Amino acid sequence: MQSSGRVRRQPAWHMLASEFSEATLNEKGSGEYDPSFVITKLGAKVNRVIVAGLLERLEVRETSNGSTLYQGQMRDPSGLHYFSVGDYASESMRELTLSLVEKTEIGEPVLLLMTAKSRWYQTDEGAVYTSLRPEEACEIDAKTYALWLTRACEGTLQRMKTRNDSLSAEPTAEGLKAAGVPDNMVDGLLLSRNHYGEFDTETYTLNVMQALDIAEGRMEAASQPAPPPQSTLDDAPAAAGASDDDAVKETLVAIIGQLDQGDGVDFETVLTNADARGIDRQLAEAKLDELSNEGTLHEPRFGWFRIVS
Amino acid sequence: MSEKYETHVNAILAECPDADPKDIAEAFAKYETEFYIPPQDAMRSILRRFKGEQSVPTTRSPSQGGSSAPRNTKKVSRLSELNGNDKEVEIEVEIISHNMREQTIRGEQKQIAFGLLEDNPWEEKGDKTRWEYKDWGPSANLAPGSIVRIEGASVNEYQGRMSLNINQSTRIVVVREGTRPVVAPGEPQDINSLPSDGYVCVVGRVLASRPDQIHKKDGSGSLDIVRGRIADESGTIGFLSWEPFDHAVGSLLKIDGAQVRTFRDTPELNFGRTTKVEIYHDKNFADADSLSQQTVLTISELRDGARDVDAVVQITEWAKRSFTRDGEERFLWSGQIADPTGRCRMSAWSELPFSEDQLPMTVRLKGVRVRAWQGIPDITVDNVDQVEILDATPWDESLDLTNHTAEVDLHDLATGASRVGVSTSAIIVSVREDSGFIQRCTECRRVLRDGACAEHGPNDGNSDVRLRLVMDDGRSSVSLLTNKAATLALLGMDEAQMKAAVDEDGQMAFVQTLRGTLLGRTVKATGRTIVDEQGAMMLADGAAVVEEDAGMLATELRAHWGVS
Repeated sequence: MQSSGRVRRQPAWHMLASEFSEATLNEKGSGEYDPSFVITKLGAKVNRVIVAGLLERLEVRETSNGSTLYQGQMRDPSGLHYFSVGDYASESMRELTLSLVEKTEIGEPVLLLMTAKSRWYQTDEGAVYTSLRPEEACEIDAKTYALWLTRACEGTLQRMKTRNDSLSAEPTAEGLKAAGVPDNMVDGLLLSRNHYGEFDTETYTLNVMQALDIAEGRMEAASQPAPPPQSTLDDAPAAAGASDDDAVKETLVAIIGQLDQGDGVDFETVLTNADARGIDRQLAEAKLDELSNEGTLHEPRFGWFRIVS
Repeated sequence: MSEKYETHVNAILAECPDADPKDIAEAFAKYETEFYIPPQDAMRSILRRFKGEQSVPTTRSPSQGGSSAPRNTKKVSRLSELNGNDKEVEIEVEIISHNMREQTIRGEQKQIAFGLLEDNPWEEKGDKTRWEYKDWGPSANLAPGSIVRIEGASVNEYQGRMSLNINQSTRIVVVREGTRPVVAPGEPQDINSLPSDGYVCVVGRVLASRPDQIHKKDGSGSLDIVRGRIADESGTIGFLSWEPFDHAVGSLLKIDGAQVRTFRDTPELNFGRTTKVEIYHDKNFADADSLSQQTVLTISELRDGARDVDAVVQITEWAKRSFTRDGEERFLWSGQIADPTGRCRMSAWSELPFSEDQLPMTVRLKGVRVRAWQGIPDITVDNVDQVEILDATPWDESLDLTNHTAEVDLHDLATGASRVGVSTSAIIVSVREDSGFIQRCTECRRVLRDGACAEHGPNDGNSDVRLRLVMDDGRSSVSLLTNKAATLALLGMDEAQMKAAVDEDGQMAFVQTLRGTLLGRTVKATGRTIVDEQGAMMLADGAAVVEEDAGMLATELRAHWGVS
């Protein structure tokens, strides 16, 4: 006796950037007005988010068809959100975007909170990017930011627990419901378990701990020293230790492990992904060789790498 | 200060050797103290500032790809496009039937599923082709009645017959959940999980039964019917029998081939010529007394169209009204009732045994009907026997229900019936651009668009104030309309101040200010809700931002989740 519910507004998930940006799975119904979703590793089926952070960049891009597109990035303690505001955005959102561009140009710090729709695309090499299309946004003060942080942390902790509870349950909708998984997580958890397999949630725990430090005003605890100046400043947290040989190898193995669909991962894809994580291509190439020689990796055919299991 | 940020300042200096270290350190301090941004996160923004015009190269950190080697997928919309040796097929189909069987494969017992599927699932009356399928997975996502996207199946052709093979690596995406769960005929279902239409079998005890008549609309006479109610341990449901039905209250029956029809918001069982009703024997089946407890509803549980409802309520207002029908003066009594879950209206067609000055009166209602007016359930009492006056209230006597509001979870409001006298708290996720001053039609109070009412055409309108917001708890959302009083209270302004703000900055800037104060904040709103297929709406006459302390919340979170 359920109503169709298809036209109902999708709820907004409070979510840290790391969980959203690590998602590589999407789902789209076939109808024109069916909502599309990004499914995160923790099993959230996301059509809309409410996110906040430091506006780090906002620039205008002229597109080939003459329309205007603003692209921006927003940082929270766990990572970055990428978003774009185009001609399709509401009048108020476009007005706000213009004023924010001015502020970022003169280097004025802006804390932003937005409700946004999830977007997803895949490159030819198979790398997956998530991004956001803000619907509404506003500048907030540190107090509101701290509130948002606690809510995003609570959401993350709740999803981690739900996912954990679901692991021992039978992987069916009935099985998960019997294990106490709330209705809005059942579908996403089934999909995420199928797609992502096993992974370690430790980084999410660390993200939450750092975000809570900030929410409690314990900035000392949340601060980290800068990496040595010679290393490149990069977006990905992995880059912090990227100069370390072992860390590079670990990252490469992780990339291959995650991308491998059974046939191994081709050389170019490995390097592109490594590059995007701040690992120099030449360095990555050298380390790939080393890993092969060590016997950590093998090449089932030329230029395709797999982890020796 | 410069020492505290030493490593960060040095990192900036490496890129911008001309910058003043003191300025850099001050920038880090500002980000940290004013904006809660730790230095490692402020790094890029500060670097950008000191580099000035120079643009900082930005690279995107890609996540891990879904598939490095794209499969060679054959994506089709119709089964007829497939050949006997196609592999990696992608198609959307409706699952018509789904059966399981055990099969011994290489000496191993294995469950496999098989059945029929049908292409072209979205066209109501289009041309459809059916194929058999076998699912070697078997996937839990295949259920009869559901529409699924099958990714990576292969075609099997055997003696000219085509079928689809689904194996363990095939991905099944449920695009629409099954709308007609298929239950084997003759297999009783729980009453609370009956579908909203279709033929069913139930085992239940008769709780109420009385003869009734249906008058044909064309005036050609009337039909004798029997109305009543049956129950099992999962719930109760009303029934209407078009055939003679003489089973006494308390009888346990198995009813096969009853049709569920939904009248207003309430499903009802229909017994007709093809329905098989027989006495059922089960010593352990709950007796009528304990089952009838389930028909006692609270106001929050009332649904339009429900019959044989029992409830205990308090009558808080009661008045007699008269009207004329067919030249004859008639009387109707009506007023407000309440229980701790909410308020609604009640009407009675006969005088009840108390006077107005005895209010509030607590009464037990038996077998009453529910109708809805503007989405709000409204109880109708047809005769005085349905009302029993109670000496005491089953809830706290001191509770004043006259203006009582029940606090309800947003999710429950969004998924429940329309209600009066409720309040809820959730996060504001949207402030609509048309929030603020509006003009209402002088005739009907509709909001004017471009100076005109959809019904009554152009008019000057009356000025009013309201906000259009959306509140959200992460699972459900409710659109929130605040009336003038609630709006002004929420914003902490009077009307003149609000007018000045809009006139000075313009509507968009005003909306942007509203977003700055409301987005992401918890708001508590009080009023009534209207819930329909489009979703839930709350009309609020009170609203306030809930003050929250992030530090406290964070500390509580740590304690609750054990993260420290």
